[in-house]
Amino acid sequence: MSMDKNNKIKILVIEDDPVITDFLCTGLKYEGYEVTSRTAGKAGLDALQQTTFDLIILDVMLPDIDGFEVCRRIRDRGSDIPILILTVKKEISDRVKGLDSGADDYLTKHFSFDELLARIRALLRRRGKISKNRKLQADAIVLNLETREVSRKGKRIDLTPTEFGLLELFMRHPHRVFTRETLLNRVLGYDYDGGTNIIDVHISHLRNKLGDRPPRLIRTIYAVGYAFYPEETGT
Amino acid sequence: MRVWDRLSLQARLGLLYAVLLIFSVVLVGCYSYWNIWQLFISNKSSHLRAQAKPIIEHWLIDNDLAKPDNPHLKLTHQNAFILARDLTSRNTVAIVLSRKGDIIANGKRLPEEPEAPIPDKQYFRRALSGENEVTYRSQVNGKPVLVMLIPLRPQPASSQIFGVIQISTLLTDIKEILFRHGAMLVSLVAIILILGIVTGFWLIGVSLKDLQGLLTSCHQISKGNFSQWVPVKNRRDEIGQLATSFNQMLEKLEATFASQQRFVVNAAHELMTPLTGLRGSLEVLLRGAQDDPSAMARLSKGMYKEVNRLIRLCEQLLGLSQLESSSNVHKQPIILSDFFNEFKADAQVLAGGRSLAIQQGPYVKVSADPDLLKQILFNLLSNALRYSPTETPVVIRWKLLPKQVEIQVSDQGQGMDAETLSHIFEPFYQGKATVVSGDKGIGLGLSLTKSMVEAHEGTIRIESEPGKGTTVSFTLPLE
Ligand SMILES: Nc1ncnc2c1ncn2[C@@H]1O[C@H](COP(=O)(O)OP(=O)(O)OP(=O)(O)O)[C@@H](O)[C@H]1O
Ligand SMILES: [Mg+2]
Repeated sequence: MSMDKNNKIKILVIEDDPVITDFLCTGLKYEGYEVTSRTAGKAGLDALQQTTFDLIILDVMLPDIDGFEVCRRIRDRGSDIPILILTVKKEISDRVKGLDSGADDYLTKHFSFDELLARIRALLRRRGKISKNRKLQADAIVLNLETREVSRKGKRIDLTPTEFGLLELFMRHPHRVFTRETLLNRVLGYDYDGGTNIIDVHISHLRNKLGDRPPRLIRTIYAVGYAFYPEETGT
Repeated sequence: MRVWDRLSLQARLGLLYAVLLIFSVVLVGCYSYWNIWQLFISNKSSHLRAQAKPIIEHWLIDNDLAKPDNPHLKLTHQNAFILARDLTSRNTVAIVLSRKGDIIANGKRLPEEPEAPIPDKQYFRRALSGENEVTYRSQVNGKPVLVMLIPLRPQPASSQIFGVIQISTLLTDIKEILFRHGAMLVSLVAIILILGIVTGFWLIGVSLKDLQGLLTSCHQISKGNFSQWVPVKNRRDEIGQLATSFNQMLEKLEATFASQQRFVVNAAHELMTPLTGLRGSLEVLLRGAQDDPSAMARLSKGMYKEVNRLIRLCEQLLGLSQLESSSNVHKQPIILSDFFNEFKADAQVLAGGRSLAIQQGPYVKVSADPDLLKQILFNLLSNALRYSPTETPVVIRWKLLPKQVEIQVSDQGQGMDAETLSHIFEPFYQGKATVVSGDKGIGLGLSLTKSMVEAHEGTIRIESEPGKGTTVSFTLPLE
């Protein structure tokens, strides 16, 4: 997965509800996307003319022109940018209309953010915006997302699902500092009730299996958490 | 009685009908039987009289007894026997009685001639006392006979009675005729009853068939199938009318049901938007945004807003359902000018820095629930403020109408087109007006307001012109 710092994937969010816009922007930025938001259809179309985007997240209920119309106008301009439509269920019969008007996919409101991310990745992969190769590589570590196999310097390593999840997270976001709380939420789920010490245990197991010695790949950041520092970025 | 209650309507009607039919037919039969019997008897007695009269007259003359005021009038065995003999025939026998009641002569001589009954003292006395024809029935050897007593006088008008003649005739022939007649009557009655009951049951069945259809429909409806209509064949009779009004009720019910369902779907969707915001924000925070204080602050503010919106929505939903029962409306006399003096402070808070004028109207006392009245005004004010530019004024005024007062809230904002106006009172309907100040609404405000006004037996109407402004007027009853 190539997500060059200077060549981030650009997403345009067209949505009029301020709270939904806010969490979409914050969450997507956190995932490493560059996000621009507009609260109306016309403003969204204008933004598209000024900058090129890689993907559009489009709400159906917009104050000026509705989402389907926006979609149609974008396609009429000859653009094949992937469009993900957000609808409330009452417009579900419109979903066909949405796909007819040129949208690529739709999500009904009350969608989960994880699902949104998965759909975005799928759309980007289909357009070749991110590599179709479902492998993460860093520092001679190869992590196959399809087969869930991990190897370092050609040697196979057996990881538990939790350890795999931790390593995947680190490799997707090199250099980012994760608090124990965040690691806990992302790997063990939002409703896990135990203390954060469990994360230290999993990290130490992971380090052992990777043969990670100081200076470590997975570093402890004092009083905060952990971060992943590969020596050379994988291709 | 319990068995009766358990019978079907058809069986009950049929039984009643059959009992009535049997009763009336038997009554008619008995009456006609009795009537014929009476006819025969009177016929027979007049026949007897007609026969006897000339014979007696002749006999009087022949025996020199017809002279008036003859003190030597005397019945002898000889002359009495002649008379008895003359009056006796195959079916009839006569005996002659003296004033004392002794049998002077008996006309029976041949064995085939019937026996004469023993004279009855009571009837005999009546005959002696001057009653011209005493007729009664009696029995001889178990056979019915008709007996007639005729007093013997020298002249028809004479008060002198020197004997009584008793003529008796057998009634066996009449009995026979009557028996035959009775048998015929009974079989006729039986035929009428059978035919009547069969056709009766059939008729009742036919007329109750539509009722059966009604019943089937009811069963279907109780299972939730509102599209099952009752067939209306004969629109004019009671069952037809019942079916028609039943269908009307069904139509209403179906419409109410559909609108209720629409309402629930709309409410769920309205709940969904803030919930999506809440869930998304929480997920993003838990995924790691919580480590960034500025994201944390922003997202939690957003979530706070969403929660408030959910609470407002629930409050409005509760308000709507509360209004459905009139026991939740506590009316009391309110002096409008006093009410508005108090309301002014609250309204000013809602308006913020905007210009809000409450124009005092005439002194009126209305009957209203003060809490609901406040809510009505809050809803209308918030609309006026929300959909009009900040620099334009909002005005509240009231005026007196016959028996009621009209309160108006007007703004000079965006106004509405006819299309929006036609849907404005539907729950969750929102027009195209853009929100100038404050939060986006839910679309329940005006439908709630309408319910509240109607709970006061008032009416609400909206005049609006796009670009010019809107005036909402509602009425309240005077105290
Ligand atoms: N004074 C007004 N001027 C212009 N448009 C109005 C006015 N009042 C109501 N409307 C229109 O009618 C619609 C329905 O109003 P209503 O009060 O029922 O719902 P709302 O204001 O959108 O939401 P809320 O439930 O919060 O009141 C509004 O969305 C708006 O488009
Ligand atoms: Mg409103």
